[in-house]
Amino acid sequence: MSSELNERSVDDARPPRGGDRAQYGVCAFLALLGTAVIVDGLGIAHVTSSTDPVGPRAVPVLLGVLLLVVAVVYAVDVARGGHGEPEAGEDVDLSMGSDWRTVLMLIAAFVVNAVLIEPLGWVISGTLLFWGTAFALGNRHYVRNLLIAVTLSLTTFYAFAIGLGVNLPAGVLQGIL
Amino acid sequence: MTVLVGYVPSPEGEAALRAGIDEARLRGEKLLVLNTSRGDAYADPRFAQESDLAHVREDLAALGIEFDIRQLLGAGDAADEIIELAEQAVVSLVVIGLRRRSAVGKLIMGSQAQQILLGVDCPVLAVKAAQ
Amino acid sequence: MDNLNNLMQGFADVMDPMNLLLALIGVLVGTAVGVLPGIGPAMTVALLLPITYGMEPVQAFIMFAGIFYGGMYGGSTTSILLNTPGESSSVVTAIEGNKMAKAGRAAQALATAAIGSFVAGTIGTLLLVLVTPIVVDFAVSLGAPDYFALMLLSFIAVTSVLGSSRVRGLISLLLGLTIGMVGIDAVSGQQRLTLGIPQLADGIDVVVVAVGIFAVGEALWVAAHLRRRPAEIIPVGRPWMGKKDWKRSWKPWLRGTAYGFPFGALPAGGAEIPTFLSYATEKRLTKHPEEFGKGAIEGVAGPEAANNASAAGTLVPMLALGLPTNATAAVMLAAFQGYGIQPGPLLFDREASLVWVLIASLFVGNLLLLLLNLPLAPAWAKLLRIPRPYLYAGILFFASMGAYAVNAQPLDLFVLLALGLLGFAMRRFGLPVLPLIVGVILGPRAELQGRRSLQLSGGELSGLVGGPVSYVVYTAILLVLVWPLIRRFVVRPLRERNA
Repeated sequence: MSSELNERSVDDARPPRGGDRAQYGVCAFLALLGTAVIVDGLGIAHVTSSTDPVGPRAVPVLLGVLLLVVAVVYAVDVARGGHGEPEAGEDVDLSMGSDWRTVLMLIAAFVVNAVLIEPLGWVISGTLLFWGTAFALGNRHYVRNLLIAVTLSLTTFYAFAIGLGVNLPAGVLQGIL
Repeated sequence: MTVLVGYVPSPEGEAALRAGIDEARLRGEKLLVLNTSRGDAYADPRFAQESDLAHVREDLAALGIEFDIRQLLGAGDAADEIIELAEQAVVSLVVIGLRRRSAVGKLIMGSQAQQILLGVDCPVLAVKAAQ
Repeated sequence: MDNLNNLMQGFADVMDPMNLLLALIGVLVGTAVGVLPGIGPAMTVALLLPITYGMEPVQAFIMFAGIFYGGMYGGSTTSILLNTPGESSSVVTAIEGNKMAKAGRAAQALATAAIGSFVAGTIGTLLLVLVTPIVVDFAVSLGAPDYFALMLLSFIAVTSVLGSSRVRGLISLLLGLTIGMVGIDAVSGQQRLTLGIPQLADGIDVVVVAVGIFAVGEALWVAAHLRRRPAEIIPVGRPWMGKKDWKRSWKPWLRGTAYGFPFGALPAGGAEIPTFLSYATEKRLTKHPEEFGKGAIEGVAGPEAANNASAAGTLVPMLALGLPTNATAAVMLAAFQGYGIQPGPLLFDREASLVWVLIASLFVGNLLLLLLNLPLAPAWAKLLRIPRPYLYAGILFFASMGAYAVNAQPLDLFVLLALGLLGFAMRRFGLPVLPLIVGVILGPRAELQGRRSLQLSGGELSGLVGGPVSYVVYTAILLVLVWPLIRRFVVRPLRERNA
């Protein structure tokens, strides 16, 4: 007798996480952010008055310095082998690597919505968003998904934009909806 | 030749398994038990957990049939998997369990059974759960 | 009793049919999304915030109160049936709860969790009614330096007490402070970090930050690591418990409540510590020690009550001082700000009716939850069968709609995406998200109070210390900061010597 479990790489052992070098990228980002905050802070006109002896510059500069300091401390921590545990969760399987393809497709669907929401309106851009994200996440019921997406966009538009007065653009469908 | 059973841990699935066992004995063939899940929901009642499979394994071993249990995850619909497997393996008969469904339910969700009936070349035995 | 009258008025407002309906919707939505994997109460409130902008604040808060308790109840249901706690506060419930469910006592585990939550929630809310006005009276006398010190304490607390790594907590806090700084400086009117983009002059809306970090970040993170293997669900019937279970549950409920509320009310309390304490206590006091680790009902009853009581406790500093101590309270604060309401001691004067309606609806929501969830538990478990593509597509859909609706500008959607990617990166590198949200909300206010303090002293740094309260708070900060050193050089050597 035999039984087998064919899963896509689920049983692969977790890749050894020796030094997590990507963390140095975070240090670099923090240092860059700190520098940017300081530069921006120093560019602010130094206005102080009797009611505000500190002025708008002090806090950004302090914050920038703190960011630089923490970048260094973090780098030391990483060099000593410190690493943060990636967030686990009930729906998360960390034994596989990151699925970048899905993430990129999600971002694409997101950007399409952001670009089209005003010209085409929420009903169309929202439909594309839902359909696109469901596709990106691996659902292949194209027609069913389209029906769900249209229903959802129309319902939300009528319930929130027309019913509750939430700001959602009608776009090209202005006058039809 | 092999008898292929689409197994689900439910009354329909058990009925299909029983029928599959009878057929395999009658024909003197191997039994292939297949369980699939798309693996896209947090919980899938049609996915056989280890305890279900252990149960099936025990039963089959006790009966002394030559068998194989296969579980597919993260795959497509059960129907597609059965059709594909029926083409690959030398399958003489496919046994599936049938659920009672309303007409509306069928319209929205489609029918896996119908897809299998239309897509498989060999005979298909459809079984209902005992009342 | 002025407060009692106010509370009665609050109840009268909630009893309006429309408002009751909203409370019901809140409880249902809260429980539903609490049950769903990957969505906690903070994310639920964040997602629903923009939608409620069309409502009156009172109605919105009636709904939030339902979501607040409903979300927690949903989380414990999942942890009992699946042994995969959604939030750190449900970890303890899962230990015994799942064992009970596996031993065929799912109905009793769910019942003791539900009834315990109700008991703890009701007592906790009562304590909230009693304690908050006292804190408010005390808070009214506080000056700018005291507030500044309190906010510093909040910052230190969320970065170093909660969470495992101080550096990572601090990184998250600083990122939050940076995001909070974007916009026009409230005192001088100068633009800061706006990159010359006019839409950023108003700053980045807290709601967009919360939705981006909690919802979009989480959705992207889960999408990149989708679990494929379906989990085993334990089938449930209607929750119920027998006489013996009641007898074994009621004391743990009360003890759990006693642990939970004070910890929740502290600036650095949280729900993890009281739930663990409650578990340890029940394990020690039980008459059935052999059952612990195999499904002891006390181990579900106590921690679950502690969890809910702590949630009620977090509302004390939130309402009285405007200090958020957990993620849900932080998002609720964002909601107040969204309506142009500044939480803090003056809230009880200026927005008295709003506050009391919120408190009254906490009571009502709690009761609705008990009435609804006992019969509905089996239905909730079915929600776990929703295919993830729809679940996460839905989250992104509502997140985008909400973020756009805040200011009706597409730029917010790009900001939302950027924040979502930041949330993704934070999850990847194990940076906690709570300090960031707290930084965004409290950062600008801390700066304002700090500058106000220095204005009084003419720019001398001594102005930051004023009055006994700030001395106490700074001592507390110092203790929090040096505690690891004490533990390392004093406690541990002592323990080793004794061992």
